[in-house]
Amino acid sequence: MPANADSQGDSGQADPPVDSIVGTADDGIVRELGHDDFDPVGTLVLVLIYMAILIGMWVFMYFVEFLGRGLTVVG
Amino acid sequence: MATASGGDEFVDKFPDEAAIIKASFLIAFVSLGIGAFFGLIQALHRTNVFRVIDSADYYTVLTGHGVLLAIVFTIFFLCGVFHWAVARSLDRPAESALFSWAWVGLMTTGAVLATVAILGGFVPNLGMSADVLFTFYAPLQAHPIFYIGLAMFIVGTWLAGADWFLSYRAWRQEHPDERIPLQTFMVLTTMIMWYISTLGVAVSVVFFLIPWSLGLIESVNPLLTRTLFWYFGHPIVYFWLMPAYLLWYTVLPKLAGGRLFSDPLARVVFVLFLLLSTPVGIHHQYLDPGIAEGFKFIAMTNTMFLLLPSLLTAFTVVASVEHGARQRGGEGYLRWLGALPWRDPAFTGMALAGAMFAAGGFSGMINAGMNINYLIHNTLWVPGHFHLTVGTAVALTMMAGSYWLVPQVTGRKLYSRPIGLLQVIMWFVGMVFMSNAMHRAGLAGIPRRTAEPQYQNFEFLTPIGSIFELRVQIALGGTLLFLSVVLFLFNILLTSLGEESDRPVDSYLPEPLSGPEGSPRILDNLTMWTGIAAVLVVLAYTLPLAGIIQNGGGLFGGGLPVPATVSAGVDLVLTTVTSAFNTLWGVVA
Repeated sequence: MPANADSQGDSGQADPPVDSIVGTADDGIVRELGHDDFDPVGTLVLVLIYMAILIGMWVFMYFVEFLGRGLTVVG
Repeated sequence: MATASGGDEFVDKFPDEAAIIKASFLIAFVSLGIGAFFGLIQALHRTNVFRVIDSADYYTVLTGHGVLLAIVFTIFFLCGVFHWAVARSLDRPAESALFSWAWVGLMTTGAVLATVAILGGFVPNLGMSADVLFTFYAPLQAHPIFYIGLAMFIVGTWLAGADWFLSYRAWRQEHPDERIPLQTFMVLTTMIMWYISTLGVAVSVVFFLIPWSLGLIESVNPLLTRTLFWYFGHPIVYFWLMPAYLLWYTVLPKLAGGRLFSDPLARVVFVLFLLLSTPVGIHHQYLDPGIAEGFKFIAMTNTMFLLLPSLLTAFTVVASVEHGARQRGGEGYLRWLGALPWRDPAFTGMALAGAMFAAGGFSGMINAGMNINYLIHNTLWVPGHFHLTVGTAVALTMMAGSYWLVPQVTGRKLYSRPIGLLQVIMWFVGMVFMSNAMHRAGLAGIPRRTAEPQYQNFEFLTPIGSIFELRVQIALGGTLLFLSVVLFLFNILLTSLGEESDRPVDSYLPEPLSGPEGSPRILDNLTMWTGIAAVLVVLAYTLPLAGIIQNGGGLFGGGLPVPATVSAGVDLVLTTVTSAFNTLWGVVA
């Protein structure tokens, strides 16, 4: 059952097409996932990718701004 | 106004609140339109692509862009969202519609006064201008109307907060043992942070800048007004961000077809922002003389702690979105991303805003680092950073959220989902050009806050690409962003002029996967968190402020700031405490 079933129009009028309304994504639910059934492994993958980008950019900053131009702060 | 069905939409249940929210949104969107137009003028002027103003007027345009977008647009929209969130989550109207209109009226009057003072800069004969930029501290001086308008605006936000606290108090009397509904919890913690942080700017404006601009006092201590500004100027970042977080935590999972992963984690994040947002402002002053290095180091440490709630948010919000994707049939490590509702402008806008915020997190860490900050301080890198954060994470979330919220408060269906989708994507692409180019231009040393970012007999060099390419990217980005705002305003205008709809929006918000019952009740102890936040502020600011007053020639200045030491602040505090103790002892004895 869609999670938003209780918000469906009950006025007797036909509902507008689903994809013309903002926020109707949950009409397409194919399976209910409870707390214990859900393992956010995709989130872990995205976080690891973000961390890899972050480290890469820090290394880039380090080489461009420090090694490329000598000591600019210390002294 | 009611929906055609007279059903359960927000506008049907809370017509007075819907009117307040519509008024707040209206002023926010008018400010957005003017501010975005000023942004276009700046982008084309600075890059020398097309110049319609004198360079001297650039600072009027820059001030208008900053104040209208970063203060008026964001905060009016925030007030609308918070008013909606409190009424919706407590399921009760505000205690007094008249009181609600009072804060809307006060904020509007203040915003109009400040805007008039800024626009006065275009008419030199008027004798009124406020070319002080968004960072309105001394020694730049504005017309008194600018400061008076800002003071009224801030007092208006205080009243708005009082309105929501009154609603909460009334709800609490009827529900003594229940947990604070999550959206109301988010509003209240954000407003406590706002009360604490705006004390600094209120003192600066009321006691120093207004009397100074009126000629009642001869001089002010510039470093003191600067420090009081940043005392408020960094927490305001989180004041912008918290409504975006509220939408990411409570609306985005639903838009993705899922549920919030963890209500307790969301509460922890908001408590952390309350505690950590304010004692960090000195990280904007790493290059200021007159503040000892030790205090700057403390501010840096506090700032790095702030990464924690942002990273917690990244995990919780992405996990909630992933839950939606997997409920919609998404599989694999990354293929689930394809199962998300990318054709829905509200979802796509918020998701792209979140992605941009992740990039902004990187440049934010550079800004926060005490020595690496020296590389990019006062360069175009900094505007590049806040165009990712407030300019995209916040503004794009607010626009995307409008596609879901405006139908709820008007009872009218969004005029066009495809135009909305085009608009949010155009904003994302425009900001990729603009912020990427700004960051790289900052690394090349190109300054910010100037109409003429070039020097004679000096050529900026970039490690990759060329300065010409960066300028083209900024001009192109600025143009795309302005067109995106035009599309947004067009879509919202036609939405509000449209027919009443039986079902204007799918407004149902599902319960979190892990509800508040699993979190410790102490998280809802707002009095305790407020006390701890105040103590942290006292610890972070007492000694630096004492040192600034002592080194800068007293409260009202008169001398130039001199290099400071920690001991100067300690001496003043010890002297003051000893003197107070002696006086007290004298009275007792």
